[in-house]
Amino acid sequence: MKVVTGVVGNDIHVVANRLIELSLNARGFEVFNLGVNTYLEEFFDAVVETGADILLISSLNGEAEGWSREIKLLKSKYKNLDNLVMMIGGNLVVGSADADTIVPKYKNYGFDLVFHQVDLNTGLDTLEEFLKERDK
Amino acid sequence: MSKMNDKLLIDVGSTYFKVSTPTSIEQHLRDFNKDIFDDLTYRCANTINSFEKDDIYICSSANGGLSTLIIGLTNSFSLKYAKNIAFNSGINIIETVMYQNIEEYSIPSDVIDVVIIVGGINSNDNIFGADLYSYLDKLNYSNVVFVGSESHSSALKDNIENLVILPNIIDNKLHIVEENLKVYLTNLYQEDIEGKEDIKHLYDITSNQIYSTPYIVNKTLPMIHTKFAVVNPFILIDIGGATTDIHYSKDLVDDNIVTENEYDRLVFKKLGVYKSKESLIFAAQNNEFVYELLTHLKVTENIFEEQSEKATKTLMQLAIFLVLTKMSHYKQAYINLKLLSINSIVLTGGITKVLTSSEIEDIISFFYKKILNSEHNPVTVLDSNYDIWTLGAEAE
Repeated sequence: MKVVTGVVGNDIHVVANRLIELSLNARGFEVFNLGVNTYLEEFFDAVVETGADILLISSLNGEAEGWSREIKLLKSKYKNLDNLVMMIGGNLVVGSADADTIVPKYKNYGFDLVFHQVDLNTGLDTLEEFLKERDK
Repeated sequence: MSKMNDKLLIDVGSTYFKVSTPTSIEQHLRDFNKDIFDDLTYRCANTINSFEKDDIYICSSANGGLSTLIIGLTNSFSLKYAKNIAFNSGINIIETVMYQNIEEYSIPSDVIDVVIIVGGINSNDNIFGADLYSYLDKLNYSNVVFVGSESHSSALKDNIENLVILPNIIDNKLHIVEENLKVYLTNLYQEDIEGKEDIKHLYDITSNQIYSTPYIVNKTLPMIHTKFAVVNPFILIDIGGATTDIHYSKDLVDDNIVTENEYDRLVFKKLGVYKSKESLIFAAQNNEFVYELLTHLKVTENIFEEQSEKATKTLMQLAIFLVLTKMSHYKQAYINLKLLSINSIVLTGGITKVLTSSEIEDIISFFYKKILNSEHNPVTVLDSNYDIWTLGAEAE
């Protein structure tokens, strides 16, 4: 399965980005890593060019919240992205807030899977389970 | 009889032609009642006859280049990469079509020299469909090339007549691969030059390939320091009769594409002071700062109606202002350059024969103050002896 990943917005946390790529590769995914400082349009454009099944956005400095508000509007401009699995993880707010508040908010932005301050492997395990359930 | 190292260099532009020998450079306004060959051989017969065919090198921008329409999947990858390659190959882009919305685009009435279809990495198949074929059916074009996903190429080959298939310009890491399309477009440009009635006679006086002038200029840029005191990063502006070309260092672009070339080129097809004069004036009249600029130059709008040296000077000053504006963040365009980082602006072409350094610096300084609100003042370098073209042509 193909995954497009990268760090959204003005965020240069490259170590986490690299770890995500390595972990996805180890689990057998074909990874297209757009790196840090990536704009939303580039994520969706990369999905179209690669024919990816999953979009995994990461955010470490809380920038994701501002950018994610635009997701529904932007995604609606693309055709054929209805089956795309949308996933986001990292530190998803500036300051502090608990996952019970954050997760519904991001699901409302259009994400299928949301991981706020959850370790990487737990997040990827959940992704694999989600894909298994979906393909049943 | 010429010596081994002596070359005769000829540049045929839309308005002027230039002839350079090891000892002199002459420039002539073209006689538009004659074809290029007759005009050239009439005026420079003695010079041409004193060189062997092997020692005569010609480049031309007189055709204004080929036109292309690009159909691609996305703005961030396929269209961006194809546009970059086309511009650097001397091709003029008349339209870009985002494939997913192809039905919303009108069909250009002009004949397109080459249609470029691009999209997808090699493992992505089933990208293009019937809507592409139906769009192409309505389009009037001479050549069509596919540089997208290899797994999709046979389906396209079956449905598009005379389709040329080249390796994908997007690799599996979503990076650009420019060489194959660049060579194809450059060769097509050469064939076009050779096929033009006006130009093909020029092969009677040279046995060397005739290149496009922008291609030659781009080759010179890495060597520019051997002739001029230019400080990086710099831009080179070539304002001609029909078009204005900008060659720029890639350091000046935020949205950098990693390629082997240090410099990119952009052409403004309808910005020139002779053949494209009307569209230059139209562009000027639609710029809200131009009237202030005219006041600064102590002229009125009536100057557009005049046929005088003063009018030509004003048009050239307007062209500098407009082209800088188009490349600035003030106007969102294909490329916005970091103009506040520029240390030198090099000017070449007919402009160097008409404007003085101080007249050019005056306009550049006006642009920086009005549009960028800055006192930044890059050094202006005039290539008044066509050294940039000579250097590239000799290297070739």
